[in-house]
Amino acid sequence: MGRYILRRAVQAVGTLLLVMFLLHLLTTVAIQLNGNPAQAFFGDKVATPAQIAAVEQRFNLDDPCYDQVGNPCLGPFVERLGQYAQGDFGTNLRGREVSEIVATAAPNTLRLFCVVLVTWLALGMLLGSAAARWRGSAGDHGIRLTSVLIDAFPVFVLLIVYRYVVAVPLNGWAEDTFGENSWPPYWFKPSFDPDHPWATVVVPGILLGLAGSAAFIRLVRASQLESYQGDHVRTARSKGLTERRVVVHHVVRNSSVPVVTAVGLTFAEALGGAVITEGLMNIYGMGGVLWEAVRNDDVGLVLGVVTLLAAVTVVVMIVVDIAYALLDPRIRYE
Amino acid sequence: MSPASRMRTAAEGEGRGTRHSPGAERGEGEQRALLEVTDLAVEFRTPDGVVRAVDGLSYRVEAGRTLAIVGESGSGKSVSSLAVMGLLPDTARVARGSVRLAGTDLLTLSRKEHRARCGEQVAMVFQDALAALNPVHTVGFQLTEALRARRGLSRADARRRAVELLDLVKVPNAKARVKEYPHQFSGGMRQRVMIASALAMDPDVLIADEPTTALDVTVQAQVLRLLAEIQAERNMGLVLITHDLGVVAGVADDVTVMYAGRAVEQAPVVPVYTTPAHPYTRALLRSIPSAAGTGRLPVIPGRPPSPAAMPPGCPFHPRCDAARDICRTEVPPAAHPAEGRMSACHFASDIMAGREPAPEAGVTTSASGTSVPGPKGDPDD
Repeated sequence: MGRYILRRAVQAVGTLLLVMFLLHLLTTVAIQLNGNPAQAFFGDKVATPAQIAAVEQRFNLDDPCYDQVGNPCLGPFVERLGQYAQGDFGTNLRGREVSEIVATAAPNTLRLFCVVLVTWLALGMLLGSAAARWRGSAGDHGIRLTSVLIDAFPVFVLLIVYRYVVAVPLNGWAEDTFGENSWPPYWFKPSFDPDHPWATVVVPGILLGLAGSAAFIRLVRASQLESYQGDHVRTARSKGLTERRVVVHHVVRNSSVPVVTAVGLTFAEALGGAVITEGLMNIYGMGGVLWEAVRNDDVGLVLGVVTLLAAVTVVVMIVVDIAYALLDPRIRYE
Repeated sequence: MSPASRMRTAAEGEGRGTRHSPGAERGEGEQRALLEVTDLAVEFRTPDGVVRAVDGLSYRVEAGRTLAIVGESGSGKSVSSLAVMGLLPDTARVARGSVRLAGTDLLTLSRKEHRARCGEQVAMVFQDALAALNPVHTVGFQLTEALRARRGLSRADARRRAVELLDLVKVPNAKARVKEYPHQFSGGMRQRVMIASALAMDPDVLIADEPTTALDVTVQAQVLRLLAEIQAERNMGLVLITHDLGVVAGVADDVTVMYAGRAVEQAPVVPVYTTPAHPYTRALLRSIPSAAGTGRLPVIPGRPPSPAAMPPGCPFHPRCDAARDICRTEVPPAAHPAEGRMSACHFASDIMAGREPAPEAGVTTSASGTSVPGPKGDPDD
């Protein structure tokens, strides 16, 4: 087990370096082909060469390799790695520390994801397990139909309807019923409130989770159905165990590997993504930050944020791999 | 054990007025059956309609005796044992019959109670131990799962019991191996684990469904010997389901031969081998390879009928080398050509005596389109 984790960790570090190098190459080529991003610092204003040179120096864009198309610019890459190693992820164009921006934005995204994850697991495991256990029944058909309907309903439609049709009256009703400074009005606030980050993220998170749960329900159902067919389930039943125990120890437990995979994948995706939800509900999160950074040609910010996201993704993948090994001993000893 | 106490089975053909009543034919001093299956019929719902996989099967299992149920795949031998255990898939149901376990008809219980009763008294060893054991739990966990869940054993007691069970089935180094997972065991050892897990609750009856099919021939012999030893030691009733008549000879006391969902012959093991009373049994015996054998091994021509398209009359008649006209129209009733023997053949006595049944007046076998020409040699071999 220890060796397994170690091997995965070494692989992860390698992957991370590779991602960073690729990212570096891509931005380098982009700079070499598109021209100097230091220009972006000045917006529409015309800057003197001296001013541009100063900005270039400040953002480490002064290396001559950036003017030579095809040069991989290894020097600045190594330099940047050194800075990262010291915890320095650079600044954005306005001089704000990237790590500080991420420190503000990431918790909101994580809050959103926590709510999404709980919604997901609750809906997916409950409905998926129920559909599998009573397969072919009216309930099973109902659950499958619901999951298709949810899939057919894009998340932004759900959010727009919620925000413009449902949220305001609910918010007003909650204020009238529970008082202005109680919790319920915040739950239904149509936009994010940094002072109440949890309360205002719950409903958007549930909606986003609902949208994502459709595929998850089907995944859970399918993998549990496979387990139900397994000979080991018949063996467990032959021992006279209760159906509940059979389901928990021999069906749900055995079908947990695909579930963990799905959770891991979405976690990584949700960190960078959820742009639509964050944008519509005015949540200051990673999706919004990245979106702005790309729009503003903010190379420093893009590099810093993507590197951090890559690091988080790699860590999540290690956790998923370890979870695999814990859940399925056959993987552990391979 | 005296020959008089040999198991007596009676598979009553459907439509016959006399139902076999337990004890009616048995003499004094005979053992009480641990498990008694009477006139069991199992149906499957399929896209082509309802098909009957088991039809009118009856057998008795007594303490300390081994009943072998022999048949080709699809003959209903596994399905009937799943019905006994209450493990039939959702598409199947028991159409009629009873399964008496120590006096209680299991089929009248709810599925939950049925399984709970079986968990206490009847255990099952499945064919493919790799699939039948759960890959994500340790062997120790699976061996004592029922004990912990149903008898409330502590973790430490369960571990001790698991080691005992592995020792019992002669798995070396049991203490270390209870912590391992099924995929770390070899095929034969895995089947031993399967047997140990079946023994955990100290069952009265053990049903072994082709326990050696997935194993090497040498390992097969070891596992069979182990089963026989344990059965003798604990005075259990053992039901050995197999398609291999060769396996049966060494371990069984009684034999039930199944064909197309019915018992075609039921008898103590020795007479089945010396004087088979059903053409199917006779054909099966001929197709066992022998060391002295020369030339081609005889095979039974044709294929077992699909349960959805059962031929009229005797289900075996299209493949039977002794089929006569009556076989094509009349379902043979259970005949008792000798004490303690049953054969579902119109000519059971003739077959048992090694005679070909007399050809019917005016009709010869070869003139019939459906019959398969029988071998020309003397069937009495």
